[in-house]
Amino acid sequence: MRETFTKGMARNIYYGGAVFFFLVLIGLTVDTVNRLPETDNSQNMTELVIEGKRLWEENNCIGCHTLLGEGAYFAPELGNVYTRFGEDTENIKAFIKYRPVEGIPNRRSMPQFNLTDEQLEALAQFLKYVDGIKTARNWPPNVQG
Amino acid sequence: MKYESQGVAKLYFIAAIALFVGQILFGVTMGLQYVIGDFLFPEIPFNVARMVHTNLLIVWLLFGFMGSAYYLVPEEAERELFAPWLAKLMFWIFLVAGALTILSYLLVPYARLAELTMNDLLPTMGREFLEQPTITKIGIVIVALAFIFNIGMTVLTGRKTVINLVLLTGLVGLAVFFLFSFYNPDNLVMDKYFWWFVVHLWVEGVWELIMASLLAYVLIKVTGVDREVIEKWLYIIIAMALISGLVGTGHHFFWIGAPDYWQWLGSVFSALEPIPFFMMTLFAFNVVNKRRRDHPNKAAVLWALGTAVMAFLGAGVWGFLHTLAPVNYYTHGTQITAAHGHMAFYGAYVMVVLTMISYSMPIMRGQKAGNIKAQVVEMWSFWLMTISMVFITLFLTGAGIAQVYLQRYSDDPLPFMVVQEKIAIFYWLREAAGLVFLIGLILYIYSFFAKGKEVEFVEG
Amino acid sequence: MNAEELELKRASLSALASLLNLTVLPVIGFIFLLFLYKQTQAQTIGRYYAVLGIKINLAAAIALIIVTGLMLLLGGFYSPWTWVFVISYFVFVHALFILVATWILVRSWTGKKLTTTFL
Ligand code: HEM
Ligand code: HEM
Ligand SMILES: [Fe+2]
Repeated sequence: MRETFTKGMARNIYYGGAVFFFLVLIGLTVDTVNRLPETDNSQNMTELVIEGKRLWEENNCIGCHTLLGEGAYFAPELGNVYTRFGEDTENIKAFIKYRPVEGIPNRRSMPQFNLTDEQLEALAQFLKYVDGIKTARNWPPNVQG
Repeated sequence: MKYESQGVAKLYFIAAIALFVGQILFGVTMGLQYVIGDFLFPEIPFNVARMVHTNLLIVWLLFGFMGSAYYLVPEEAERELFAPWLAKLMFWIFLVAGALTILSYLLVPYARLAELTMNDLLPTMGREFLEQPTITKIGIVIVALAFIFNIGMTVLTGRKTVINLVLLTGLVGLAVFFLFSFYNPDNLVMDKYFWWFVVHLWVEGVWELIMASLLAYVLIKVTGVDREVIEKWLYIIIAMALISGLVGTGHHFFWIGAPDYWQWLGSVFSALEPIPFFMMTLFAFNVVNKRRRDHPNKAAVLWALGTAVMAFLGAGVWGFLHTLAPVNYYTHGTQITAAHGHMAFYGAYVMVVLTMISYSMPIMRGQKAGNIKAQVVEMWSFWLMTISMVFITLFLTGAGIAQVYLQRYSDDPLPFMVVQEKIAIFYWLREAAGLVFLIGLILYIYSFFAKGKEVEFVEG
Repeated sequence: MNAEELELKRASLSALASLLNLTVLPVIGFIFLLFLYKQTQAQTIGRYYAVLGIKINLAAAIALIIVTGLMLLLGGFYSPWTWVFVISYFVFVHALFILVATWILVRSWTGKKLTTTFL
């Protein structure tokens, strides 16, 4: 690098740039949080949905599945599973409930979590709520996720 | 070794390498589960193996960063470590806490672990990479605070070099952004949004400061190039990292329910993110080319150059590949993501830690550089691990492209599981490459025990 | 600036133009490179790097545009497997060219030639 570009200048770009863009990120974050109610489906966030989210976490579902494209890539996307399962929470509940304990020979299998009916209902409601989040361009691209 | 207390780094590095082995063993386990679905089911379900794999990665990289800081900071500050005993104490606390957490993943069903650790009091578990029980997270914070106090006091009461200050800033940032892992709102969109304040602002923010300063330190040592020149590079690299990376977080806000403007902001700023990685390559090439001496530790020079190149490939090129919103619309959450994640983590953070170990371990063991045989073995392990990681990335990229086409792009999209079976060949190939990686890692460990002719050191 | 310094400057500019042509300024970078080539004198370091840059970029054009074009032609536009090969190949080989051009740029700054030349 040329001598006209000094270490002091480089340092100032670092400090100035870092502080400036950090403030920009904070500003954008405030704006985003303010606008979220338009898209985040929070009007349907019932107690049951919140319990469902906790169950989702405490059974580490994200360790195999993606949810709105984030998570693991071993098993199908679940952000739109409510749509894929014919917009019926009963189908979701039945699927989770009847997983064989020993798995399906030779295939990737989902564990049997031994959930109660109330817990199944909460999880299914949570997945229904997630399906209602308004993602940009209606992501995922199609029903297969 | 100039200062006695630098020696604590050795403990940290040994633990880091041991956990690295664990990480890879679970990696190849999962690789097999990808193609033989019922392998180890239901004893070790995929999600458990994955938690072990990724959490071990993070924990051993943290061990590596801490060890590197304990080694580097006293030498730069020209004084002993502020409290060597504290560094040793924290080592054991972190090791025991880390080991217990990993064991609990394997021995107790996750839901039971959540119950035992009273997750309901402050629910933080069950989010990708942040699966640790809340109590472990608190432990991490305590260890991090003690560590930063120790390093901070050493830096502030000693010679303040640019390398030390940048490293310290990076480490403080690491600890501060980790605090977002305690924030788990019920609103899923908010949860996802702030989750990235840990994950993205780590790997594409403050960790780049850590990486750049470690690389700068080793390059000064092995090339003898003037410190002024290196510091100027260091500043401009980290400036570009933060200028692009902070707002670049937006490349994760495209499809999670956040406002549409993120598609523009995220695309534009994250498209600039390869620049700091490219500059690291330019920087490393430049100072090695202008070196004032030929350091006897050839292996360390190789690792340093390898880090710069592979970080550029993994983070810069493979990151850019899927970072523009119109592309990410199709690739989001596919094997393309996994391909990028592997090469970026390996190229940037695994390799920079191995560079530090390669440079400092011989010195801590009373030599200037490893003996000739040890270095040859180490360089073999470099090539085996690095080339197999390139292949892992290429196979996953192939799998990802096919997946996108069949499942998302074609007029007649196929279900996820159907597609997975169609692309199984890529997973078999990935598994084969993973086994080569494991062989490379075993050779790497052997290199510390190999006996041979000592190298001669000629000061230039 | 004397003649020697001018050639050194052209050498590093040529190396830069070649890297730019491979990255953010395709075509424009190449035109700039040709322009630099015309300015340089024979047997100088400037000429050496201008020629090297042109060679590298021609090689890249063949490897990237022609080979990918052939892959598309032979594999068919509507087969997923074509895209698997085309995209992986393009990204990887393109990155390798960028790395080589970066090394050449760094060498040009020292005013020396490459120690080994592949082209
Ligand atoms: C060498 C053999 C390895 C194999 C076979 C392997 C395999 C895997 C598999 C199957 C996954 C889960 C993907 C999914 O969610 O479906 C994964 C995730 C991951 N692995 Fe590895 N891995 C290996 C080495 C490594 C190394 C060396 C690193 C770090 C440098 C690494 C870092 C990661 C990361 C960061 C993830 C999470 C990826 C994401 O969320 O996108 N792995 N690995
Ligand atoms: C060393 C630095 C980097 C590391 C270690 C890294 C690692 C990762 C990992 C592990 C993920 C997957 C996260 C998840 O599980 O959801 C990811 C995602 C992503 N990364 Fe990086 N990354 C780095 C740099 C970059 C850069 C420089 C770019 C852009 C140029 C980038 C672009 C992306 C994008 C767009 C995604 C989201 C993929 C998706 O939509 O599924 N990354 N990265
Ligand atoms: Fe990111």
